[in-house]
Amino acid sequence: MEQTLTYKSIDNTVLDTLTPPRRSYWALVAVLFAGVLFGAGCWTYQILVGIGVGGQNNPVFWGTYLINFVFWVGIAHSGTLISAILHLFRAPWRNPIARAAETMTVFAVCTAGLFPFIHLGRVWLVYYMLPIPNQRTLWPNFQSPLMFDVVAISTYLTVSSLFWYTGMLPDLATIRDRAHGLRHKIFKVLSLGWTGEYEIWRHYTRGYLFFAALATPLVISVHSVVSWDFALSVVPGWHTTIFAPYFVAGAIHSGLAMVLTLMIPLRVIFKYEAIITTRVLEAVAKTIVFTGLIVGFAYGTEIFIAWYSHNPVEVESFRWRAFGDYALEYWIMVTCNTVIPLLLLFKKVRTSIRLLFVISLIVNVGMWYERFVIIIGSVAHDFLPHAWGLYTPSLVEFGIMIGAFCLFFFLFVLFVKHMPSVSMTEVKETLHEGESHAG
Amino acid sequence: MPADTVSIMGIFDSENSAASAIDRLRETAWTIEQVHSPIPSHTIEDALEPPTSRVGWFTLVGGIIGFFGGFSLAAFTSLRWSLIVGGKPVVALVPWFIVGFEFTVLFAVFGNVLGLISQARLPRFETPPYYDERFSADRFGVLARCSADEQDELTRFFETNGAEINTDDKL
Repeated sequence: MEQTLTYKSIDNTVLDTLTPPRRSYWALVAVLFAGVLFGAGCWTYQILVGIGVGGQNNPVFWGTYLINFVFWVGIAHSGTLISAILHLFRAPWRNPIARAAETMTVFAVCTAGLFPFIHLGRVWLVYYMLPIPNQRTLWPNFQSPLMFDVVAISTYLTVSSLFWYTGMLPDLATIRDRAHGLRHKIFKVLSLGWTGEYEIWRHYTRGYLFFAALATPLVISVHSVVSWDFALSVVPGWHTTIFAPYFVAGAIHSGLAMVLTLMIPLRVIFKYEAIITTRVLEAVAKTIVFTGLIVGFAYGTEIFIAWYSHNPVEVESFRWRAFGDYALEYWIMVTCNTVIPLLLLFKKVRTSIRLLFVISLIVNVGMWYERFVIIIGSVAHDFLPHAWGLYTPSLVEFGIMIGAFCLFFFLFVLFVKHMPSVSMTEVKETLHEGESHAG
Repeated sequence: MPADTVSIMGIFDSENSAASAIDRLRETAWTIEQVHSPIPSHTIEDALEPPTSRVGWFTLVGGIIGFFGGFSLAAFTSLRWSLIVGGKPVVALVPWFIVGFEFTVLFAVFGNVLGLISQARLPRFETPPYYDERFSADRFGVLARCSADEQDELTRFFETNGAEINTDDKL
């Protein structure tokens, strides 16, 4: 952390971001909200007409709705990596970006959570998935990976939201103590009357540690469970034991890229350069190289095992992925996720903010295509040649996808202007690394 | 609170000076009533030597309830509809560990939050009269109690240790 930072300068920098926004901000909010309404309109149209307005059809019944579901759940994961796993590892570079990454997690899970509802078609029957007494005397089957998913995603959303809010308490008190009138009253309630008494800190630090310790296995379990939605079937390309670690690494890879995509503009607009230093972004970039290598290793392992197994269906499945109808998508995936991130091995690249931003966007695109290749590529070309078929998303699906992206950015943009997007307390803590009192 | 005692708040501009003052105060007969800090300071923690928080017990109990709750829920729903699916037994232990695990984390976190708010006595709707708004920014507060006739001595102690004194009558 740069030496010029003081407690006061940290507070001033973060609190300056909460001043009344300019018109350009509200214009951006309006555009994003229009996108949300457009997506909602497309969904409404699908509800009125039927799920057939989407491009899903025999043999591809899992289309962009499931791609987007996995994509957004994946995005969420790096927030928990930064806030929980790196907290346990005591990595100080995570402190300036932890809040924004946690916020990204919560909003990404909310966005992801919409897609199973959209994919259901008859969304009003969603209660079928809840274990509640009902007139049908039917109960959810907890042996199904889809029910694992319901439990895992609900738990993840609840835990991430509680972790996020608990982490914000000291900062909400900082805002309360500088606010007046109605704003003071609102933050007084939101901060739960936080006073920074040592007695509160004593329990808080312990509770926060347990939060991190619980969120760490949870985040690994959630994307493992998402991967089992596929791996527990018998479809070639899905039915593999590598899926859980492959999905977890991919999730963190995409999430870290999204962290850069969000942090870099935030850093410029809110003048966070002294807090979110180039070293912090560089640390994220190095982690992206690491996760990119794991993902690349997984791509290679899948092909190796298909060849090594001598299973003709498996071999054909992976041959077709690389050289079949979706070869372009496959090579976009490989290039964007494993080749281009290797550029970050060069210090010049990872210290160039513009290049970092561009590479983060490329990885986001690549990770979306990874889900396309996995989900579509497997069911479009499984056991029976006469059952093979292709899939193209319909305009309604594109509309819903645009709406989902707008919803995520709409929530994030609203948050960063009304709540502290950098944890003042955690950045202040980094100023004290290695300091000890004379006693 | 004895009527012939007074509380004085020393406000420090650094973590180290607050911790040093706490160290010295603990060697006197004066009582440290409260310490305020804008960060969870390990330096102050070392000086105060507080007991370990009991929040973990709430987390543990929540986790145990969650594990058995999740497992039992899965068993109950399967037994209510005893249909063999995919050749798996109706009471299938292995997949239910996943449900049990997720519920363990969920309820452990509920226990953790409950432990945190009950032990830290949150929410509080009124801040104490001696609370200084700078405690959430960049100041460290040490509230100490002494007998009325030692008030000047305690004030001098704080001043010697570099503190600003809160002379609010409400203390």
